[in-house]
Amino acid sequence: MNTLPTVLVVDDERPLRDFVRRNLDVRGFHTLTAANGMEALAAFETQHIDLVILDIMMPHLDGLETTRRIRQTSTVPIIILTALGEEEDKIKAFDLGADDYLTKPFGIGELLGRIKAVLRRARWAETVPDQETIARGEIVADLVRHQVMVRGALIDLTPTEFNLLVYLMKNTGKVLPHRMILQHVWGPEYGGEAEYLRVYMGKLRQKVEQDPLHPRYIQTERGVGYRFDG
Amino acid sequence: MAFKTRFYSLFVPHRDMGLQLLALYLLLIIPVLIAIFIFDQVAGQQIQLEVKASDLSLARAIAKEADYRILSALESVRALSEYQVVRIADRQGMETVFSIFSTTRADINLVYRLDVRGFMFYHYPVGPGSTVGTDFSFRNYFTAAQDSNTPLISEGRISPTTNQAVATAVMPIRNKDGKFDGVVATNIRLESLSATLREILAEHTPEEGFEIFIIDHVGQVIAHPVSARLLIHVEDMMPGLSQPALRGVSESKTMADPSGKLYLATYAPVPSAGWSVIIRRPEQAAFSQQILYHRISLGAIGTFTVIGLMFWLVLSRRVIYPLEKLAGISRKIGENEPIEPLDRKFLERASRRLDQMGKLITSLLRMERSIAERMHEQAVLLETSQAVVSSLDSQVVLNRILEQVERLMKVEKVALVALDEKSGVFRVRASRGLSSNYTGQMTIQPDEPLSVTMRAIRVGEPVQVSDTETDPTFSAQRPRARAENYRSLLAVPLKTQYTPPSALLVYRPDPHEYSENEIKLVASFANHATMAIENAALFTRSDMRLTEQTRRIEALIQSMQDGLILGDLRGNVVYANRRISELAALTPGELRGTPVTRVMARILSRAGDHDPARARVESALYEKNPAQVEFVVTMGGHNIALRLQTFDVNDTRGVSIGQGLILQDVTTDREVDRMKSSLISTVSHELRTPLAAIKGYATTLLADDVEWDRNSQREFLQIISSESDRLSELVNNLLDLSRIEAGSLKLQYTECDVTELVTHAARRGHLQPSNQFNMQIAPDIATIWADQLRMETILRNLIENAVKYAGNDAKIWVRVVRSGGNVVFRVIDNGPGITAEKSLLIFQPFHRLDESLSRASSGAGLGLAISQGFVRAHGGDIWVEPSESGACFAFSIPIKAD
Repeated sequence: MNTLPTVLVVDDERPLRDFVRRNLDVRGFHTLTAANGMEALAAFETQHIDLVILDIMMPHLDGLETTRRIRQTSTVPIIILTALGEEEDKIKAFDLGADDYLTKPFGIGELLGRIKAVLRRARWAETVPDQETIARGEIVADLVRHQVMVRGALIDLTPTEFNLLVYLMKNTGKVLPHRMILQHVWGPEYGGEAEYLRVYMGKLRQKVEQDPLHPRYIQTERGVGYRFDG
Repeated sequence: MAFKTRFYSLFVPHRDMGLQLLALYLLLIIPVLIAIFIFDQVAGQQIQLEVKASDLSLARAIAKEADYRILSALESVRALSEYQVVRIADRQGMETVFSIFSTTRADINLVYRLDVRGFMFYHYPVGPGSTVGTDFSFRNYFTAAQDSNTPLISEGRISPTTNQAVATAVMPIRNKDGKFDGVVATNIRLESLSATLREILAEHTPEEGFEIFIIDHVGQVIAHPVSARLLIHVEDMMPGLSQPALRGVSESKTMADPSGKLYLATYAPVPSAGWSVIIRRPEQAAFSQQILYHRISLGAIGTFTVIGLMFWLVLSRRVIYPLEKLAGISRKIGENEPIEPLDRKFLERASRRLDQMGKLITSLLRMERSIAERMHEQAVLLETSQAVVSSLDSQVVLNRILEQVERLMKVEKVALVALDEKSGVFRVRASRGLSSNYTGQMTIQPDEPLSVTMRAIRVGEPVQVSDTETDPTFSAQRPRARAENYRSLLAVPLKTQYTPPSALLVYRPDPHEYSENEIKLVASFANHATMAIENAALFTRSDMRLTEQTRRIEALIQSMQDGLILGDLRGNVVYANRRISELAALTPGELRGTPVTRVMARILSRAGDHDPARARVESALYEKNPAQVEFVVTMGGHNIALRLQTFDVNDTRGVSIGQGLILQDVTTDREVDRMKSSLISTVSHELRTPLAAIKGYATTLLADDVEWDRNSQREFLQIISSESDRLSELVNNLLDLSRIEAGSLKLQYTECDVTELVTHAARRGHLQPSNQFNMQIAPDIATIWADQLRMETILRNLIENAVKYAGNDAKIWVRVVRSGGNVVFRVIDNGPGITAEKSLLIFQPFHRLDESLSRASSGAGLGLAISQGFVRAHGGDIWVEPSESGACFAFSIPIKAD
């Protein structure tokens, strides 16, 4: 992908929207803006978007609902912006398919770092892998087509979920600390966001385990990290 | 003390009156008897002594006499021996001497001279039976005389010469050279002694039984009034007497004769001859006086004894026995035991006696009768009081009381009259034996002057009419009395306190003067009746009060917003209130007896996530300790948060009688909780929004990788500045809000220009260029007395709200009119509007109309709350007006005259 990535910035507060847009524009992104979810969906349907930056609190269709609707058709990376720094909101956002999360106020460097990491992860998913498939137990991951079969059935995974599952499968049997997982899957800027892992591991278990409450594959190493058992 | 009593009772059985009297009698009589006895003894001895002394003196006197005679005889013979003629035994001479001698001495019947050989030489008188020449040397006295120089006396013997009993006085005769030459002797006629004795004896009566005699030194009787007894040995008459009698002392002695008869023997010695005078007489005769006295004493003792015996007998028959009997009977009476027929007969017999005993028994019988009567009365009264407490139905109790009055007073008609409070007249409340006609018609006005009942009630004392026919006050009622057939009447008032005044009436068919006792008795029945009536009344009252109280508590529990269930120990519903009925959709009837778990299951079926909630509820129900579970149910489209609390229900002794459940509606609490967290997130959001812009632009300016042109830099700094202002204002609003909440907001009143107010507010209200803004101010309102800045904030918040909710293209109107004493501002938009339900909640702090909407509208939650606070601080009101399209917020500010 050599073309400029197109970023959709959605926020009802014009000063903020302008601040993000101007910073991205100056750094070579192609930026679109929307003042609410409705406008954002309209823009998403009509144009190719590589990344969505969404404020949660907006009139007429908030960021979470917008995320849900985008996820119905696309795996485009989504970064959520919110003034609410609460865990519950983050989890809700991740549940609905957001890839990353930023709490207001934030600095421009922070935002740019997240944007780069999210785009990188999306790009990894598109690169050609060394091997075509990895099979562990009943789980078979097709690295070329970005598809995962569990007990013969195809399951839906976001790019981050896919990357996380493949990383776990490649390190079967090893205890993987939180920081290591975050830096490998999310990018080198990450490391302290253990709650991301909790949300994603939960989502993966829902999708691959037969009994998510008593997982067979994704094991929690309390206080350390996670382990994948083939 | 006890010891003393016991000790005393050992000797004086004072519990028995008979013995007591006997003891008393003995106490009196014994000294008398002792005195008699002592007298008997002393007198007896005295008499004995006297008798003995008199006998002794008599004996001594006789002995003296005899002694004298003997001495004179001895002197005579000695004198004779002096005679020469005697000495030489000159017969002729001796005849002269002897004859002279004989004539002088009548008691001598023979004088004689024995020669040296003991032959009778001569004797005078010479009688026919002369013994001259006869040898008398064998005679003891002759032998004795041979060795003696003094005269001596012989034992008694029968003289052969005179043939008479004699004793011989002998004088030995010695010649010149002292050679024994025979004796001269005289025979003392013992007969003469006997004659003396006879004379003495003649002085005593034959009854005295005197027997006086003299014995010689060998014990022969030598003098005795009865000649036949002469020369009998004394031992033949009285064995054992000769020895003491011849001892030479004089004394008295009681001895027995050979036949065993007792004699008092007194003897006195005749010293010259060694004889003894003996007086003897039978003891009986000797001590006849003593014996007499003795007999008298015995008689006296016997008499006393017999009298005592008789006295005691009479006493015990006539006094003690009846007393004992009476004691027994009175004990029986006291213990209320029946008196046996025998005792009864005794009492009847004894009561006929005229003495004190008779009176005592009569009064005892009277007492018995009165005790029996009293007992009967008491028994009836007791029954009555039992009747009073046996039932709380006053009618039943009253009937029972009247029945008892009837029985005890032996009357047939009784009635209880009480004031009927409704009609204000006295009526029969209960009666017996009276015709229904009489009781039905009887009404007494409280102020009727002549009514017996009213008089009794007014005076508070019993009133009686002893004869209805003669009592002048009764004339008016007389026909009624005749019809009802009674002649006397007693009315006793009841001392009521809590119930209407009443009286007890007793009717008799005959004229009767009620005694004080009878009246007292009726009065005590009246007291019982009072008690019964008052008990019943008080019970009814307290019952009503209890019912009332129960109803109130019931109503309270029923009206509670919280659900309440009381389950018994088996877990079934004993009681549940209305709220539970609603929640479980069961009628109260269906609820009772239903297991508590089923009721809870029905309530839980309304819960969305009902499975986990049910598990928690069930564990709370089975938990012994109080537990608390919260769950949410949906009812009528609303979510209701319920908090279940279980607790043990204990009785007053702390024993568990079941389980209590309270279902508390905590929806409001949860709402408040939610609002609290909402406040925090809203404030956080409100503050972070301008902060985000500030930080964003500040970091943009600080970023190294991009060089911004000067215009851009200025623009960014401008934004930072304005966002800082926004932040500051926000903080001010928050402070105002907290002041409003605390009630400490102070307004700065000034004269405000209304047009200016609205214009300023609209300018700051983030109106978008596409918005249409209209302002309509009534001409009569140019200025208003208010806090300018706060008024601007109110208006701006409303305008801002309109912009946010109605959107950028909305039309917004501000209209100001005067209404009464107020100025009313209205901010109207053409947006989506507000539903009637939400318009009520909208002014609560941080209430968000719609989660998504409010999140989008920064400051919306705070804005309206602040506006409301400011309006109220001005003394006005704010509200949402219903509108066909869009929203219309209105607020009023009172017009203040300066």
